Amino acid sequence: MLELQRNVIFGQFVETGSFIHRVDARVKIAATFVLLVASFLIDDFLGFAVILPLLVIIGVVSKIPLGYILRGSRFFLAFLIFILAFQVLFYPGGDVPESSYLWRWGILSVSTEGIYTAGIIALRVILLYYVTTMLMLTTSLVDLTNGLELIFGPLQRLKVPVNELVLVFVIAIKFVPIFIEEMERLARAQTARGVPFDEGGAITRARRIGRLLVPIFISGFARADTLTIAMNTRSYRGGRYRTKFRQMHASPSDWLALTLVTLWVIVAWMV
Amino acid sequence: MQSDGRSPVLELKDFSHTYLEGTPRASEAVRDVSFRIHHGERVGIVGATESGKSTVVDSFAHLLRPGPGQVFYEGEDVTAPGYNRGRLRREIGIVFQRPDSQIIEDVVGADVAFGPTAAGLSASETRERVEESLNTLELPYPDYRLRYIHALSGGQRRRVAIAGVLAMHTPVLVLDEPMAGLDPRGRKELLELLLTLQRERELTLIVCSASLTDASLLCDRFIVLDRGTVVMDGPVREVLREADRLSELDITLPEPVVGAREMQKLFPDFPTDVLTEDELEVELLERLATS
Repeated sequence: MLELQRNVIFGQFVETGSFIHRVDARVKIAATFVLLVASFLIDDFLGFAVILPLLVIIGVVSKIPLGYILRGSRFFLAFLIFILAFQVLFYPGGDVPESSYLWRWGILSVSTEGIYTAGIIALRVILLYYVTTMLMLTTSLVDLTNGLELIFGPLQRLKVPVNELVLVFVIAIKFVPIFIEEMERLARAQTARGVPFDEGGAITRARRIGRLLVPIFISGFARADTLTIAMNTRSYRGGRYRTKFRQMHASPSDWLALTLVTLWVIVAWMV
Repeated sequence: MQSDGRSPVLELKDFSHTYLEGTPRASEAVRDVSFRIHHGERVGIVGATESGKSTVVDSFAHLLRPGPGQVFYEGEDVTAPGYNRGRLRREIGIVFQRPDSQIIEDVVGADVAFGPTAAGLSASETRERVEESLNTLELPYPDYRLRYIHALSGGQRRRVAIAGVLAMHTPVLVLDEPMAGLDPRGRKELLELLLTLQRERELTLIVCSASLTDASLLCDRFIVLDRGTVVMDGPVREVLREADRLSELDITLPEPVVGAREMQKLFPDFPTDVLTEDELEVELLERLATS
């Protein structure tokens, strides 16, 4: 039966008590940012090859099983392959020498340049996805919110509504796993009524998922409503007026980890 | 209530289930649950929250990833490959805890018609079933047929969900917390309706609840779950006799039983297996007369 939560782990937090879990959230966000920048700067396979061991280390240290991450990225990977197929087939052929065409049919073609570009894009997107997923898997929502608020706090002087923006961002992320769970529940209930979600080919299954969209939206609005009321009744107001019960502390080893990541990225960029 | 030597309607044999098994977020819901439910029985599956009631319900219609243990319907293992799950789901009607999750269409009539249509009934038969089910639940067919479900109240939506299941004419009817969110009158009406239906259609009725208030009037047997295992299984009165233990398990006791437990302070031998206030009164008068 549908256990959707296995296939989409985006936005989930998994506590394993590892070193990465204990690193100060601000440091983790900064390291994530460094790696995001890296994904734009690095533009050859060698650079990504240099980054790879770093990603493996992060994965191992976090104690989150690789199988769990891979299975939980199934939909993402399927989507990525779909996009890449388009990228390769519709690669604009302006500067492609005739010799590098492997196959051609009308506007569709497969060229070595196309494959190379698609490969780099794939690695970039995977890096982006991996790094943000790892941040969310290893950082609780409260830490993530506090970390982002502290990092962007200075912008408040420029009248940027930092707290509100962070809150919207974090709620958006947090709603993804809730929606996934809700979809699972809906699919189960509808299966009991005779919509066989666990039978049929890929297209029929996809079409049945469409049936869940309207109820999902309705429950989404209802949840947002409840959340608003809950926040109002507890007199939530963001910004300078709030004080934190738990203060964040970055230890020397946290800073060391951030420095290491930054240096690693610089090396990968330079090679 | 062993009826006529037929195989049990439903049987769970060493059934265990862990959600998201093999992932870091795995959580065990039930462990080694075994019981049999026979034709025409009225069974209450009771337990506090997180005791595994809903997981057991889902297992009846094979809505979970297969795990250890077996589930039999009419003597056949439903987890076996090639088992006709479509037929199983047409014979076991489940009303879930939150009615919204099982509503498929936008309009009352269309939603109640969903099951019969999917089961391949003709248009006229389907119409008859829809009319009958809606009228039974006091949602008059002509008034409610074309109403939008999302514009209905919570109690009405629950009744639409029940109508959708009743329209299937399933021999087994399972209700997960059917009384939640209903006012006293609505609860009384639903209670009477379920009892009538059970009698008329000779249904096997299974009710899940954390409260014995209504379940004790509706069921003749309780299966008590605690943290995923069966801790008591027997006739209602037999289970109620262990009121102290039930209360320790965070199960809401029926009001007469609560009264009886108070009486035990005065009369230590006061029985707790009282189903109604009248029974409580009789017991009390008897003791007052002798003392």
